[in-house]
Amino acid sequence: MAALVQAEGITMQFGAVRAVDNVSFEVAEGEWIAIMGPSGSGKTTLINILGGLEQPTSGRVTVDGVEVGDLSERELTRYRSEKVGFVFQQFHLVPYLSAVENVMLAQYFHSMADEKQAAEVLGRVGLSGRLQHLPSELSGGEQQRVALARALINQPKLILADEPTGNLDEANERIVLDLLSELHQAGHTILLVTHSAEIGRMADRRIELAHGHLAHIAANRR
Amino acid sequence: MFWRIFSRLLWASRGRLALALLAVASGATVCAALVNLDWDAGEKFTREFRALGANVVIAPAPSQDATPAMDENAMARIDALHLPGIVAAAPYVYLAARVGEQGSAVPVIVAGTWFDQVARMNSWWKVEGQWVTGRNDREHCMAGQDAARLLGLSPGSRLTLQYAKQQMRCTVSGVVTAGGSEDSQIFISLAAAQALAQLDGHIALAQVSVRGEAAAIEEVMRQMAAALPGLEVRPVRQLAAAEGQILERIRALLLATVLLILALSGLGVLAATAGLAIERRRDVGLMKAIGGPVRRVMRFFLAEAMFIAVVGGTIGGGAGLLLSRWIGQRVFAAAITPRLVVLPLTIAVMMGVALAGALPLRLLGRVRPAEILRGE
Repeated sequence: MAALVQAEGITMQFGAVRAVDNVSFEVAEGEWIAIMGPSGSGKTTLINILGGLEQPTSGRVTVDGVEVGDLSERELTRYRSEKVGFVFQQFHLVPYLSAVENVMLAQYFHSMADEKQAAEVLGRVGLSGRLQHLPSELSGGEQQRVALARALINQPKLILADEPTGNLDEANERIVLDLLSELHQAGHTILLVTHSAEIGRMADRRIELAHGHLAHIAANRR
Repeated sequence: MFWRIFSRLLWASRGRLALALLAVASGATVCAALVNLDWDAGEKFTREFRALGANVVIAPAPSQDATPAMDENAMARIDALHLPGIVAAAPYVYLAARVGEQGSAVPVIVAGTWFDQVARMNSWWKVEGQWVTGRNDREHCMAGQDAARLLGLSPGSRLTLQYAKQQMRCTVSGVVTAGGSEDSQIFISLAAAQALAQLDGHIALAQVSVRGEAAAIEEVMRQMAAALPGLEVRPVRQLAAAEGQILERIRALLLATVLLILALSGLGVLAATAGLAIERRRDVGLMKAIGGPVRRVMRFFLAEAMFIAVVGGTIGGGAGLLLSRWIGQRVFAAAITPRLVVLPLTIAVMMGVALAGALPLRLLGRVRPAEILRGE
């Protein structure tokens, strides 16, 4: 299968700290990768580089044929809007917009807002009855499902999820993981940061980082 | 979608927005009132100035004649011109007469004039007693306060005036305090003065009070000069210059006040938007992270600043027009005409103020999404 993501020798330096150090790997289209490692191992920085939120100090990142490191600020914005769907641990919803409006906001930045389509995607994550609720009126699990719907609405090539279940209770964690599994089965490419070995085992492969280095890449047995 | 998000944004920040709106609306109120006042200031102030006396003098052109005189008909011709802005026009005959019986008579300047016109153009003169009301009254006269003191006159005193071989008696109707050379004069009606000096149908000069700004007054003078050939129509230079300076200074004061208030309004908006910018930093970072182009994201926040300017400017502009009416009635005892052009002008100026004051919002464009998502 063709590589959707190619990372070659990525290094990210913050002052004296080398957060990511010469990391290389490939991700095939439709693959689910778990990025694991202890706190401070560079997982989030790696995800941010793949998502175009940070530019690496050195190395090359290619996503769907796009050389991310060569993009201008404006092109990076476009890249984030078209190629990537983000899901964050803290949900990061706009607090004064309703669930459906949060999803429509991503549509609006991508092309044109379509409330019906946004409602359909929210329906897919089980939130048909919560469209007009503000984030403050939703549980953590529901907020994360809104964030998932927002990540999916523009049909991105790559879903980047940074500890999406880190702030959820067990029941909501299960719901979100089931949704991610469904997305994987539907052919989406997912890179998911997690501390949990159990969640790591749900992925096709695990990339393990330690002190910014690539410590281990392993395929999960099925 | 823009308006939908924008309305949510407004509602979410209604507290801070109300503060910024208050700053802009109060600034706009005072600015609109002062600009409207400034527009009418020339007309209103010159109207006030016209209570200070004549500002145009009509006299025979300089000649070899020792005592040049002009035809009294000039007054009728001025009246027939129906010129706008003429508040009053008074003819004058001046006589170096004597007061008292022969032997003990005291020299005094006697002015013959039309009392009704003099009263109208010198409304600030203080009169102890009464003005003489009839234009041809030969029984009553008025005395300047210095002349009255010198001659021991008060309202009701009887007075004998002698000029050449003529003599007349009159009763002092009022004592005038004018603060000028008039205080040492005796005033009698024009008809009485002409009879005393045997100058029937002639006057020495005419004083005219013309209302309006410099250009309007000059136009009135030009028309009077054209209608009165052989006569010299000239402004009372000192008065005109002083009026011009006062007007200039008042306008400079108004302008300085407007600029100061605009600066204060800008600071008010700056304070309110600085708080908003801190609140919005996270939203902007998030919007940029999910693919929001900087210009599209910033449009929401700049629209917020424009909303403050337009709503604050409209409310303040309207209130300012009402305030200028009230000030006009209190200060000039005449309504200031509300000029609707002040409203869009105020809104435009407030847009500038709000944009300048919204500098912290513009800095949001530099927010780096990764830093926001890291919680920095």
